[in-house]
Amino acid sequence: MNQPIISFRDFSFQYRSLSEPTLKGINLDIYPGEKILIAGPSGSGKSTLAHCINGLIPFTYGGTITGDYTLRGKRPADLSIFEISQTVGTILQDQDGQFIGLSVGEDVAFAFENECMPQSEMRPLVEQALQVVDMLPLINQSPHDLSGGQKQRVSLAGVISMDTEVLLFDEPLANLDPASGKKAIELMEDIHQKSNKTMIIIEHRVEDVLEQPIDRIVVMAEGEIVAIGTPDELLASSMLQTHGLREPLYVAALKYAGVGLAKEDHPTSLELLSERSEVRERLSIWLEKELDITARSASEPILALQDVKFSYDGERDIIKGVSLHIGRGERVALLGNNGAGKSTLSHLFTGIAKPSSGDVLYGGERINDWSIRKRGEHIGYVMQNPNHMITQQMIADEVSLGLRMRGMAPDAVTARVEETLRTCGLYGYRNWPISALSYGQKKRVTIASILALQPEIMILDEPTAGQDYKHYTEFMDFIVSLSDQGTSFLFITHDMHLALEYTDRAAVLHDGHCIAQGPTSQVLTNIEAIAQANLKETSLGKLARSTGVAQPEQFVRHFIQHEKKVKRDE
Amino acid sequence: MSKSGTLYIEGDSLFHRMDGAAKLFMFAVWTVFVFLFQDIRIFVPLFLFGIGLLIAAKLPYKRIRFFLWLMIVFNLMNCLLTLLITPAYGSKVWGTTTVILNLGYNVLTLESVFYVLTLTLKYMSMMPITLLFIFTTHPTRFASSLNRIGVPYKIAFAFSIAFRYVPDLQTEFRNISNAMQARGMGFGKGEGSYRERFKHFVSIAIPLVQSSLHRIETVSNAMDLRGFGRHRRRTWFSATAWQRADYCIAVICVIVMVVAIAVRMNGFGTFWYPFTSV
Repeated sequence: MNQPIISFRDFSFQYRSLSEPTLKGINLDIYPGEKILIAGPSGSGKSTLAHCINGLIPFTYGGTITGDYTLRGKRPADLSIFEISQTVGTILQDQDGQFIGLSVGEDVAFAFENECMPQSEMRPLVEQALQVVDMLPLINQSPHDLSGGQKQRVSLAGVISMDTEVLLFDEPLANLDPASGKKAIELMEDIHQKSNKTMIIIEHRVEDVLEQPIDRIVVMAEGEIVAIGTPDELLASSMLQTHGLREPLYVAALKYAGVGLAKEDHPTSLELLSERSEVRERLSIWLEKELDITARSASEPILALQDVKFSYDGERDIIKGVSLHIGRGERVALLGNNGAGKSTLSHLFTGIAKPSSGDVLYGGERINDWSIRKRGEHIGYVMQNPNHMITQQMIADEVSLGLRMRGMAPDAVTARVEETLRTCGLYGYRNWPISALSYGQKKRVTIASILALQPEIMILDEPTAGQDYKHYTEFMDFIVSLSDQGTSFLFITHDMHLALEYTDRAAVLHDGHCIAQGPTSQVLTNIEAIAQANLKETSLGKLARSTGVAQPEQFVRHFIQHEKKVKRDE
Repeated sequence: MSKSGTLYIEGDSLFHRMDGAAKLFMFAVWTVFVFLFQDIRIFVPLFLFGIGLLIAAKLPYKRIRFFLWLMIVFNLMNCLLTLLITPAYGSKVWGTTTVILNLGYNVLTLESVFYVLTLTLKYMSMMPITLLFIFTTHPTRFASSLNRIGVPYKIAFAFSIAFRYVPDLQTEFRNISNAMQARGMGFGKGEGSYRERFKHFVSIAIPLVQSSLHRIETVSNAMDLRGFGRHRRRTWFSATAWQRADYCIAVICVIVMVVAIAVRMNGFGTFWYPFTSV
């Protein structure tokens, strides 16, 4: 056996500012040429492990290290962060923040510049690296003209050009829409096959990463490694589910149907599984089971767009005649890729943008001329990043802000804030500084601050971005409980899972048109619309198609109802 | 401001092609030259020459409009205030007093009017070259030129990276203020007193500063991981080499400078007043 390139022995790490170690007793060997997925929920320590691998620990973030970490047999303490960066190339999570140059070419050349490479040698190497990631034609573009996926590819080119032995991807799928995410994963596999570099992917979206081959998965939870195995071994076990990670949906469906999975069955291959007659039989039996969950009945529209068009410059329409409505108490998903016009549509609802033709209706009344503030009294808008909304130090102040703005009497404000905090499960934290909360809790505070205004409908922009499966589920269950009390919700998202499990209806936006609208299970299995909008069909639809046990729509509906039943029974 | 957040306007004039350091040198010589003299007979041709250069650079008026008028308005305000506060100052400069108007608290003299005119043209003759410098210099290329003439690269690079994140901050500011309006915060006219509106703008600063700090952490990590600061010098992908034109202009600048100093030493170029005989 050859020597591991990366080796942890009884390794622990504690940040200087924390009282508990973040990594505990890590033992891990990674061999040259391996492609490894390190998965775990937020707070499991997987990002900290990444920082140890690329040298940010101990060179940028200080703390106490016990045990051993060696990179090609050397301890980081004997190297500098620069020497480490010549072995480990890192692609950070924040696609925008890590883009340093004012143009694509400059950004790729950044490492060369720091190595004092003469300009004449730099240019061909930069072009070559951009060729690999298929970005050469955009060499002179500025970062503001690029999408998130394109920025990530530029960063990847920058790292490839350094020709490091190890490529480390820190949550490469965060903030990418499904199509860009799929492309990113394919590109990684392509580079792996051509260069045979060691690849380490830190990510909690296991299903998306497993679309391409992976050698081993390392599962982390609470600072420890809880499982290491091949994808087949781990999918056959219940390790992912136990540790707050989401299994691929088709695997979950098979398990619900009582199909026993062993690693010899190759659970990573949906195609192989669906060829087996036992799988088909079990699924058919499962599908026949009656699930007594009644669908929610349709209600009168609360907020609607009627043939709305919008253009920024008066020439080219961004929204090209969209009609869409959200019923009272309904949960609707607005799906679409980046650039499809989703944010513009939310701006039209909230009054940030005014339609050039067509009507915005609230409870049947035309509200085209209402200001942002006036609409804000009925339509709540929650931004994706909670840090962009929070302006106060204390939770109670943040939640009461909007009420005070409206000039409500102090007693009434206090009463309303307390009630809201109770609903949101934040009452115990009411006197806490917001800075002490986790990301998910902050997100809850922003919801509370809008909820306190008692809007009829809330528009949530990418509500689950940046949250792992466990927090995601908690958060969405909380939203469901609010919606059961009568608030309507519009989710603007490219997360198919979110739409699948938590919405009644879905609409797909593509290039300013609404190309599909209807019950979620129907929209999500409409492969033409999904393909046209560059979204990704869930693996449930694929499983239904390849086994032929049921219509995809029926299959998906059955799966959702089964999940709801499981949840209710818990 | 362009979408990329820089003021740079793509183009292909002599100024666009000039190296940033050569341009900076020219700008410096121009500035020293203007401040050496107090003579309107120098400022008028210099101003016209500058305007000629500005036209030759073919910068679209729409893009430079804001800065152009900012400078003009600022200059006019300056004149007006000078005239109002010290309406007889010109007489001190030239020793004669020609009253045009009695302002009550003082008299306005012809000398002062001419003094202010001279001053205005002095500042205005800086205007074209300033606009040229701002709008035809690409930040990274300028940073690389600064580095070459001896400015430490870390300082030069800070200059260029500041431009990288300006538009991000602008977008973020807009988004945050929209979300705040939806919660009932007033920013516009008629949406609260000046004090309240000011307070609301300040409160946006909190999330903005927070996200900037977060961004700085990411950026500095990204830079560390790609070897920034490892060596005492670095090279630049976007650096431009000095062309013949750069050398020519630099030489011309040196000659002009020497001549100007010689002329000034001989006593020419102090405040000039055409009406002394009056």
